[in-house]
Amino acid sequence: MYQFDYQAPDSLEAALAALRENDEAKIVAGGMTLLPTMKLRLARPEALIDINRIGSLAGVTEKNRAIVIGAMTRHADVAASKLVRDRIPGLADLAETIGDPQVRNRGTIGGSVANNDPAADYPAGLVGLGATVVTDRREIAADDFFTDMFETALEADEIITAVHFPIPKRAAYMKFPNPASRYAIVGVMVAETHDGIRVAVTGAAPCVFRVTAMEDALKKDFTPDAIAPIAVDGAEFNEDIHASAEYRAHLVNVMARRAVAAVG
Amino acid sequence: MDIQGEYHIAASPTEVWQRLIDPDVLSACIPGCESMTRASEDAYDCAVMAKYGPVKAKFKTTLTLSNINAPVSYTLSGRGQGGAAGFGEGVADVMLEETSDGTALRYTARFNAGGRIAQVGSRLIVATTRKFADKFFAAFSSGFDVAADDATA
Amino acid sequence: MTEIGKSVRRKEDRRFITGAGTYTSDVQYSDQAYLYIVRAQTAHARIRNIDASAARAAAGVVAVYTAADLDAGGIGDMQPAWIMYNPDGSPMHEAPREALARERIRYVGQPVAAVIAESGLLAKDAAELIEPDLEELPAVANLADATIANAPKVWDHISANQCFEWIIGNTEAVAEAFASAARIVEVDIVQNRLTPNALEPRAVIALHDASNDEFTLHAACQNPHLLRTWTCANSLPVPESRLRIISADVGGGFGAKIYQYSEDLVALFAAKALGRPVKWVAERSEAFVSDAHSRDHVTHATLALDSDGKFLALRVDTDANLGAALSQYGAAIPTVFYATMVSGVYKIPAIAIRVRGIMTNTVPVDAYRGAGRPEATYLVERLVDLAAEATGIDRVEIRRRNFIQPSDFPYQTPLGLVYTEGAYDQCVDRALENADMKGYDARKAASQAAGKLRGLGIIAYTEQAGAAPSQAAIAFGAGHAFFEVATVRVNPDGSVRVLTGAHSHGQSHETTFAQIVSDQLGLPLDEIEVIHGDTSQLPFGIGTYASRSISAGGSAVLLSAGKIIAKGKKIAAHMLESNADDIEFIDGFFKHKDAVHSMSFKEIARQAYVPGNYPLEQLEPGLEETTFFDPPNFTFPAGCHICEVEIDPETGETRVDRYTVFDDFGVVINPMVVHGQVHGGLAQGIGQALLENAVYDADSGQPLSASFLDYTMPRADDLPTFEVSELDAISISNPLGAKGAGEAGTIGAPITVMNAIFDALKPIGVTDLSMPATPTKIWAAIQAANTA
Repeated sequence: MYQFDYQAPDSLEAALAALRENDEAKIVAGGMTLLPTMKLRLARPEALIDINRIGSLAGVTEKNRAIVIGAMTRHADVAASKLVRDRIPGLADLAETIGDPQVRNRGTIGGSVANNDPAADYPAGLVGLGATVVTDRREIAADDFFTDMFETALEADEIITAVHFPIPKRAAYMKFPNPASRYAIVGVMVAETHDGIRVAVTGAAPCVFRVTAMEDALKKDFTPDAIAPIAVDGAEFNEDIHASAEYRAHLVNVMARRAVAAVG
Repeated sequence: MDIQGEYHIAASPTEVWQRLIDPDVLSACIPGCESMTRASEDAYDCAVMAKYGPVKAKFKTTLTLSNINAPVSYTLSGRGQGGAAGFGEGVADVMLEETSDGTALRYTARFNAGGRIAQVGSRLIVATTRKFADKFFAAFSSGFDVAADDATA
Repeated sequence: MTEIGKSVRRKEDRRFITGAGTYTSDVQYSDQAYLYIVRAQTAHARIRNIDASAARAAAGVVAVYTAADLDAGGIGDMQPAWIMYNPDGSPMHEAPREALARERIRYVGQPVAAVIAESGLLAKDAAELIEPDLEELPAVANLADATIANAPKVWDHISANQCFEWIIGNTEAVAEAFASAARIVEVDIVQNRLTPNALEPRAVIALHDASNDEFTLHAACQNPHLLRTWTCANSLPVPESRLRIISADVGGGFGAKIYQYSEDLVALFAAKALGRPVKWVAERSEAFVSDAHSRDHVTHATLALDSDGKFLALRVDTDANLGAALSQYGAAIPTVFYATMVSGVYKIPAIAIRVRGIMTNTVPVDAYRGAGRPEATYLVERLVDLAAEATGIDRVEIRRRNFIQPSDFPYQTPLGLVYTEGAYDQCVDRALENADMKGYDARKAASQAAGKLRGLGIIAYTEQAGAAPSQAAIAFGAGHAFFEVATVRVNPDGSVRVLTGAHSHGQSHETTFAQIVSDQLGLPLDEIEVIHGDTSQLPFGIGTYASRSISAGGSAVLLSAGKIIAKGKKIAAHMLESNADDIEFIDGFFKHKDAVHSMSFKEIARQAYVPGNYPLEQLEPGLEETTFFDPPNFTFPAGCHICEVEIDPETGETRVDRYTVFDDFGVVINPMVVHGQVHGGLAQGIGQALLENAVYDADSGQPLSASFLDYTMPRADDLPTFEVSELDAISISNPLGAKGAGEAGTIGAPITVMNAIFDALKPIGVTDLSMPATPTKIWAAIQAANTA
């Protein structure tokens, strides 16, 4: 790790001010991606602004038929939240499959969402549930938030404060994990929301995406069989030593069907 | 793995070619390119700040033009040394073909990484290659002020 | 007070669990400097120049070294400890490991330069300023590419990258048997490459005392004495008397901590040059590209059968990837420890095997838990399943029909080994009992109802453990002996210190060796301490690997304890004014067989150190005995593994549902420890079968799975609850009657899991699948079979 300055402000305002002061500063939330990257010397931020002391950023509440999860809420706390488990069990299940216990105890929803790793679970959760990302200055629909691999709609000096999940009628997340890292090789969130049906896929492509053909089919017939014939085009899917693009495309269908079955 | 793409540009192959060998154009199109100087007739030294998610590392890059067959095709290859981060090397075979309304630019690109970025980032190499190539050729094509088609793989 | 056979809690655990262990990185010296190694990022290149001037000038840098500095300091290359010979009698090619690359880089991760600084961080900062000027060369990473005509050469003097060819067996008899065979089955096998991944990465601290030119090396090592011998013979120009190696607590080895490594030599050289202790601790990402890798074979094999399903002959052709240079046992593993074992537990009258050792631009390959025997067991047990299929004979029956029978022992295989014993049928019987075979059909039906495919794998194995009789090993090309050494030192108060040349890096010697002594001398366990891992404290030692600790090391302890009793009898005879022959040692007391007088062990111990009226010409004071035990033969642990897997045909995912093992390890000193060894071995074997794979990019020679993001270690949730038990038996291999259990799980598991997978996929018609059987591979195989 290279040397860096470290500050741990206790208010959002102070964090934003620190961020504006230094173009080469990085926000550290759980640090589950940033710190290993720094240890490997693949990044050298001049300063880390640790937002773990901003207490207002963590916690789960229910507001206006939505579950609001503070940006600094740990995956383990989302998984263990009775409120999440009652209202959106598929989201609690998603949080429970992230990484390993160490990652779940440290990693945060805000950090995961801001990083937008192509194999992270939360992007599928947000897009699949039609969530809204709340920042220090605005609200961004999940559909508009995840723009490309490791890229989001966030400004350089913008901080996520919370994620609003409208409570769906029903939803489920199915994931085929990478056996080594336990990232998603393919993860599919299927939800029937009050605004319609959503099918969102992570892991398969460089960025989370929706499968509208499946959404349309499920509108007519919410059964696994309805989407069984719908193949996704894997031409630009991710490929690595664990899974070919073709296999990922196949898994999208399998995981989507299993999610539909789990939704019931 | 080879990544392929195609852009349609409303300009003649000769006009496109002139820009393909123009270091200022190349420098403007390479994502993260901070500086470029001519090293020899067909080679340039550039400083490239590669930024992918949490990774941000500076690569001392040598860009080489070879197999030059003006104004039809050439090979653009780059090798970037990022010190402890490792290295990356990319090769793109570029071909121009005159069409009824301008030029079709086709490329086949491949990328290899070595050292630490390869050691921990192998899952991202294909997607990163595609993204890099798309950004480069999209930027190049957009320089003609004409809407380009999406890259196709 | 017999302690043998009791699941005594591990004495060492209090230390480990409370964080009080002394691992090498725990050792601190106030003026220590820190070493960081600059490693090759390219797989193959000629070194034009290494400009270290910027690094030398960097903040906190004490020194920067390249190969030239080490050469000037007389640091020699690391040489193999085992030489193999070609059929024409010529020795294998030389391909030594250089401490720092001189003119050529041959693999990613190879040490190229060394930076020593006031802190690890400063050393690393400065290392970034070294960018070797290289002329890149084409690389070969895998066996197929390395053995084609005109393949790039890893070493200029090794044509076709073939380091050696090794042939054993009776080729003519094999040819004759094949000509008359009723049936022939054949198979192609790929043994996937593995990385060891011990919990504790390698670490060293080197010190040099200029006043007497003595070195000390703290090293995470499995065999400090051998390391000292090799270091002084190959690399460091000092006599062994002036190098002390200390390997106190070591967190796992699995083979990879046997060998010499560059970091030892650079640290030793630097400690002397700088007059300061020099410390190096590997990072995990360095471990992936610097610890010796393992396995990595391709094999074609054919088995000839007669019309009754009896095996007539076996022909095997294996290419083994040795990596870019020869590690200590690199050449011995695919030959002496693999090729000699392909007879398995079967009577196969004619066997011929050819092994080619091939150089590639990859990390050097050497022994890893099992070392050759998992590969041999895989080969023969895969062929036997194929033979069962081809003949229609039940797979258990065809095994029984071909087992070496109890009356056949000692059994000479066509491959040079003499098996002393093996209760194969008994192990199969007991494993079948424990595996609830009656319930199998119901379980299979339940899987089917859930859309899953259930398969069963069953294998029988034996292995050559306890390496080795020195004479046999030396005849096979070994450069050193394979006895083991133990001293039992009785203190004046009757407590005991055991000095063992075996080394515990997880094997619980402090407990099990103490149990042996307790059993012999009637002492409580907490009055027996076991010392290992320090060349200045121990008489000598070979070290721990090849499942040899208990059979070789434990036997040496037992024999030394026996000598203590013999000496105690002499002392007792003197004290009781009788003959030693009339003294018995029973329940911790020395007594005259006809008299009521007796002396406790503690009284004798005290007398040994207070020789008030000893007849000194007949009776030496003190109570300490040493044994160099050279085993008369290998030991031959054996057993039967049964595994049930359930495959999801939609995703290709395999779940190991049930796993049953029944072993014959001879005498078991501590069942809990033995079961722990078997569990760990099974986890690693299942890891090889399903998960682990050290992958190189074929073109660039870059490692693609060199972090835990991509290298899949087996985890608890990948594994079922194991059903493990063993035969109540006493081996004739050694005085202790124990065979060793450290590698058995790893040896049997890969093929058991794979046979179960092949069984599950049989209805679909999948016949070709290699390890690791990942979901993506199984899915693709199912797709291919469905479209075929």
